[in-house]
Amino acid sequence: MIGGKSMVTRRSWLGGAAGLAAGALMAPSRLRAEDAYILGTLFPMAGPNAEYGTIFTAGAAMALKHVAADKMLSRPLVLRAEDSEGTPQGGAVGMSKLVNVDRAVYVLIGFTGVSKAAAPIGARAKVVLVNGGGVGPDLAGLSPYYWNVIPLVPDEIKVLVPFLMARKLRRIALIYVNDPFGNGLLKSLKGDLTAAGGEIVAADAIAPTDQQFSAIAARIRTLSPDAVYFASYGAQQAEIIKQLRDAGISQQLLTYSGATIPSVRNLPEAEGLILTNQAADWSVDDPITKRFVADWRAAYHTDPTTYNQNYYNAVRLFALLAQQLEKSGKPINGDNLRAALLATRRFPLVGGEGVFDDLCDISMKIVINRYQDGKLVPIG
Amino acid sequence: MLILQLLVSGIETGALYALTAAGFALIFGATRIFHFAHGATYALAGYAFVLATRLGWAWPAGVLLALVVAIAFGLLLEAAVYRPIQRHHGAFFTVFVAAFGVVIVVQSLIELSFGRAYIAISSPLTRAHEVLPGLYVARVFWLALATAGVIFAVLGGFLARTRAGIGLRALAENPDLLRAFGLSARRLSALAFALGSALAVPGAVLGAMTTGLSPGVGAHVMLISLAASVMGGIGSLRGAALAGLLLGIVENLVVAGLDTQWSEAAGFVALFAFILFRPRGIFGAALVR
Repeated sequence: MIGGKSMVTRRSWLGGAAGLAAGALMAPSRLRAEDAYILGTLFPMAGPNAEYGTIFTAGAAMALKHVAADKMLSRPLVLRAEDSEGTPQGGAVGMSKLVNVDRAVYVLIGFTGVSKAAAPIGARAKVVLVNGGGVGPDLAGLSPYYWNVIPLVPDEIKVLVPFLMARKLRRIALIYVNDPFGNGLLKSLKGDLTAAGGEIVAADAIAPTDQQFSAIAARIRTLSPDAVYFASYGAQQAEIIKQLRDAGISQQLLTYSGATIPSVRNLPEAEGLILTNQAADWSVDDPITKRFVADWRAAYHTDPTTYNQNYYNAVRLFALLAQQLEKSGKPINGDNLRAALLATRRFPLVGGEGVFDDLCDISMKIVINRYQDGKLVPIG
Repeated sequence: MLILQLLVSGIETGALYALTAAGFALIFGATRIFHFAHGATYALAGYAFVLATRLGWAWPAGVLLALVVAIAFGLLLEAAVYRPIQRHHGAFFTVFVAAFGVVIVVQSLIELSFGRAYIAISSPLTRAHEVLPGLYVARVFWLALATAGVIFAVLGGFLARTRAGIGLRALAENPDLLRAFGLSARRLSALAFALGSALAVPGAVLGAMTTGLSPGVGAHVMLISLAASVMGGIGSLRGAALAGLLLGIVENLVVAGLDTQWSEAAGFVALFAFILFRPRGIFGAALVR
């Protein structure tokens, strides 16, 4: 028994020492997580739209570095990533985890369907969601805690339609993805085009996973439209372009800002594609833009895209708002962030001064571009 | 003319479906292994061809590389995954989960190596030209037809007239009897995987040119192969080939009368119809218990 007691005591000591050691090791990281501002990202990180997730995250990551280097905040900013898979289901699950488990105070989000699923969860928890990638018309005023740092597709359509009318491209065939974004775009395009004297001669809805478009191309060819507008995402856009061109569709192809990604840009068949996008002038002289562009070129040996810019701006916006709140001694939460945004409205961001409206949406100039030799060339 | 155009598109799509589905059916028919990673073979072969193209290799060398990669992958899976599971009398579900895991690993490896973006090979073969007023046909259509025709003729001859081919057909029926005739069930199983994996290559190479590739392409391919195998009759090579062709044609023709969203669904409506009204498939034998 004495020997047994001695064994238990030794084990207890050893166990206690191990527990203390583990506790000592764990404590700093727990402390850090509690002290940090948690920024969530809810991007597609796998599947056909994963390309967007990589692009979005890169912009946010660079902003995090700059915020830390400038010591803008008293606490560190920590990123917690959740994969939305680009689907509403993924958005709802990811947002619940970011809110309830990670305790994120500010979440970066993209994609219309994902946003519509996650916004109610953010509104309930009063967690701000900032969109820099989704452009569906419904995203304006989705909730008081849902902000846009990207112009939405109705703004793009408003600029495109007069351009089409001026070029006598009146009869448009539309291929659109059957989801909240695609349906919203159909409504916007149909309304603006009809009002301007044009018409939609065909509206083919596709599933986000479709890969075969030769049948749609055959049908479109029989209708002889003046141009073909497609509204899809990621890899599917390149498939649509290639298959339309392969099927002998020689009409002008049109699309929106979603096509500013490498898989479209690098596709030979995308030459001549006309697309609308927010204006991006990387040669402007303000120090914030210059630093962003210089660091981007140094890191990636290429120019940034507007998606990189938007998510950089989303993180920078948080830093600017949190900085204000820290100075005034207010806690960082959804209500205070929103109040600070609406009180200030104008922020120094990449691309110039960002101005927000009552719905907490940024306003930006839209330009019409054409792909020439793999580069976006403004044409209107 | 629209119907004729859709029929042409359907035959082109269907010929590629037929080849890929036949590969799956050959493996399942001979070994009774539910090779869910057949879609991953397709993806690997396609990306191998893309790699060869990027390296500036001539297309025959690219096709050869795709063949080597596909066959090596098939053989590796057979030896390192399926055979050990079978040795331990693993259930059907174990095989399925193992294959599913392999699919995920392959997809991740492709994403790491080639990125997550869509990749397509631009080729003059895929550019359609007007052959009749309103009818556009690309050279890849004739190539797909010819490839499928030649491969099925050669494969049919091999299975019907060679000792190994007959052995493959017998493997699923009675492996013990095979041994009595001095044939190795293990070698025949490896042969089934090699041949079945090789059959994914034409679809992968031509698919890389026509519809393009993305890391997740294998899932769609597997779905089509599975549907074609059920419609054609489980384990029936010619059944899977015919059903693959039919699926391609149905997917395209349905667009003439219905919304394009019904395109893929129409193929699966046909699958349900088979399950309900002819569960043994086109060429499948009725099972008597």
